[in-house]
Amino acid sequence: MLLCDEYLTPKSLDDAFDLIEANRGRYRLVAGATDLLPWAREGRAGDVHIPVLIDVSRIAELRERSADDKRVRLGAATPIQRLLDDAALGRAMPAMPRCAVWFADDQLREAATIGGNVINASPAADGTPPLFAHDAVLVLARRNDGKTETRRLKIGEFITGPGKTALADDEILTTIECEALPGYGGSFEKVGHRRSLVISTVCLAALVKLDATGRKFEGVRLCIGSIGPVPDRLREVEQFLLSGALTMSRLEQAAEMPVSLVRSRTRQDYRREVVRGFMLRGLFNAARRAGADPSVLTAEMEAVCA
Amino acid sequence: MPELRIEATINGRKIARGAAPHQRLLDFLREDMHLTGTKDGCGAGECGACSVFVDGVLMKSCLMPIGKAQGSQIDTVEGLAQKGELSLLQKAFHKTGASQCGYCIPGMVMAATSALRINPFADREEIKERLGGNICRCTGYQKIFDAVELARDVQNGRLPATALLEDEPEEGKYIGANVRRLDAPSKVSGALKYAGDMTMPGMLHMQVLRSPHAHAVIESIDTSEAEAMIGVEGVITCADVPGEDGFGVFVHDQPVMARGKVRYVGEAVAAVASEDLVTAKLALSKIKVRYKPLPAVFDPHEAMKPDAPLLHDYAPDNVTKHIPIRKGDVEAGFAQSDLVVEQDYDTQAIEHAYLEPEAGLGYVDHDGVVTIVSPSQNITHHRHMLAKIIAKPINKVRFIMSPVGGGFGGKEDMIYQGMLALMTMKTGRPVRLVFTREESIATTAKRHPSRTTLRMGLTRDGRIQAVSLKMVCDGGAYGLSTEGVMRKAAILGAGPYNIENLQVDTIGVYTNNTPSGAFRSFGALQTQFATESHLDICAERLGLDPFEIRRINAMRDGAQTHTKQQLKSVSYLRVLEAAERASKWEKGAPLSRGDARADFANEGEGVRASCSLGARFHANATREAAE
Repeated sequence: MLLCDEYLTPKSLDDAFDLIEANRGRYRLVAGATDLLPWAREGRAGDVHIPVLIDVSRIAELRERSADDKRVRLGAATPIQRLLDDAALGRAMPAMPRCAVWFADDQLREAATIGGNVINASPAADGTPPLFAHDAVLVLARRNDGKTETRRLKIGEFITGPGKTALADDEILTTIECEALPGYGGSFEKVGHRRSLVISTVCLAALVKLDATGRKFEGVRLCIGSIGPVPDRLREVEQFLLSGALTMSRLEQAAEMPVSLVRSRTRQDYRREVVRGFMLRGLFNAARRAGADPSVLTAEMEAVCA
Repeated sequence: MPELRIEATINGRKIARGAAPHQRLLDFLREDMHLTGTKDGCGAGECGACSVFVDGVLMKSCLMPIGKAQGSQIDTVEGLAQKGELSLLQKAFHKTGASQCGYCIPGMVMAATSALRINPFADREEIKERLGGNICRCTGYQKIFDAVELARDVQNGRLPATALLEDEPEEGKYIGANVRRLDAPSKVSGALKYAGDMTMPGMLHMQVLRSPHAHAVIESIDTSEAEAMIGVEGVITCADVPGEDGFGVFVHDQPVMARGKVRYVGEAVAAVASEDLVTAKLALSKIKVRYKPLPAVFDPHEAMKPDAPLLHDYAPDNVTKHIPIRKGDVEAGFAQSDLVVEQDYDTQAIEHAYLEPEAGLGYVDHDGVVTIVSPSQNITHHRHMLAKIIAKPINKVRFIMSPVGGGFGGKEDMIYQGMLALMTMKTGRPVRLVFTREESIATTAKRHPSRTTLRMGLTRDGRIQAVSLKMVCDGGAYGLSTEGVMRKAAILGAGPYNIENLQVDTIGVYTNNTPSGAFRSFGALQTQFATESHLDICAERLGLDPFEIRRINAMRDGAQTHTKQQLKSVSYLRVLEAAERASKWEKGAPLSRGDARADFANEGEGVRASCSLGARFHANATREAAE
């Protein structure tokens, strides 16, 4: 059971920093609370007493979001469900709606936030692989001598291990910025014990763009989650795929490349099989959604990949 | 404790009142607003029994701190229709028989309402997807999806409103007719009160201190600090049992609370009742128990060895029950067989996972009758056992069976009702205990984990000549239903087949694991899993069709069972035929696997596509194309 003496809901960043200063050492930030409440139960943290909970989900600055052809700005308190149902976000982040539909369930997605998912830094997080693929940058704010300071960190620098981040004391993650990838086709592949409400055993975010011929990749972004302590961006595979035409044999070669990255504590053989299959399926689905020339996506390729 | 002042609109009515800052919206609705249609099934966002609308959006109220609900508009299952009426979806749930135990149903109705509000034309796949956050353990979901489709079609005018009415029964015909449940309206509306929904004036809240050890001597229990706490009204241990301490479905080997030693992790050691739940929880941490750990045994085969740690004095070999069956001469049968196959089959513990965690309310009435209200699946037996435990005549003990929010055998054991009785007798106040989901999983009976060693001899033409079947089960720390489970496993395990020469041994063994108990099929599942798997293997080895090998050996009308019961009629051949037809079985020995088989192609009717999500993307694409 989670016990607290005060539950505070600041409406602005300034209010939040006032509360942080007033409660230093005895508060904890909470956003969607969908990880915090299950954590404070028997078998995990048990009964937990946190004197002050500061709920950041109503801070106006953390609820803003915008997307155009160049940049995406996601307030950290953006509910995951908006990544599924906001069409403008979906155009700028083509893998994100497909990631979001696999994330928990419709109800939890209304509460859970993208910022919370990043800060939680679970190796099995669903929301982080697409952000790695978009080279996301995190905006972190703190108050120093009465002035609000911000710094920016790449997501790969921010998430340092399972449950570990570079978030400093009294710092708030306010915004997630990333480049928009319009014109890309996106896919998100995930497997777990059931469809909804399940932690990924493996997940893959794939984003590809075809050149004018529709037969060769012009852009490739790949990131796998849940096979190591932090998500793995597959830059080598991306370079390999950019270096030649879209063919079955090259897809198969690409699918083999990340297999050796599997270093989870359990079920390694299974995960290797899944990685191979997801690479094929993810790239095929993304290529089809990106408008690849139908003559390239042969029936044989579809039978093997999709 | 400082309070939050919550102002909100609940089911259309403005409210303003204090709330403890740690409360979840679920607690606030249930405890403070008395809206118990919203259920607590897991407290971790996994089951959806607590789904409510917050500002029109479906949310899980168990994961929402009450502070988040400030200023919002909340709608619960009680607000879906006018009082005494049912909403369209509630009527559809009633019509299709979508509610069984009913505990998940308010949440299901809410999720279905949300799904059809978002997409009034959602197809079955999209409905499944949008209900993905809600778990049902009884129905297998099909009738729930039927209900949502029915409501959708009536709402869209594709079906007349009369489709929601009960089918006209054929004159005098009830068997085979679609008769609606009498209690369904109370389940779909959230009106039905399960034990955890009930309150009484002056009621105390109970919490249980549980053993962290699998096997340990209890050297001392010091409850003085807990008893001194303000708000604590009573603390009980086994010392409070006035009568003969022991319960169980067959052998009364389990004390109400650990006596002298603990035998599994999670065993009840002491309990506290106080004015509020938080105080009771805090008081548990003030009870000091000194344990001396003992060697423990976790495997039934190990437990039967001569030097194994002993659990109970009365069972020097740790055997709870051994059921033997002997028929004919198995060695002679194996000798005349062309093929003898031997194989081990293991099954694991299984949790019942009913959506309603155990709960009960105990009180002593004005005549001194100790009364327990709980979803007990065996109240008469419980009543007799409790009378002995509390040393009262049977007319001073009453059990009232509250609606069972799923049982499946898991609520046959009197695992907590004794504690409620002792506590209400000690405090003179009504006492309620509600298990958490974790407590329910960690401390109550599981399906027996088993290993069946099966040896079967057959002639070339597939006729069974002899079977020897030995099953060893992990019964866990206490007997519960183990004896009955061993009996059923022995009687039914060899299946509905004519076997001249048969030897069966089913053995339930004490270990320091969570006790095993009753679970649907009651032991037959474990042994029949072995027998049926074995027949498939033998069919393959003999080059026979698996249906054929079963037909060859099937009991027919007039057969005698393995324990000499004469059967007038046997429906097995009809069952086989139906299974063969439904599975579109490709005739012949099962020598090929996977896509090569006509009955297991990757696609086609009857074979479900692999796990996927995204029905709403297809729906959106179709809609956009239409526009």
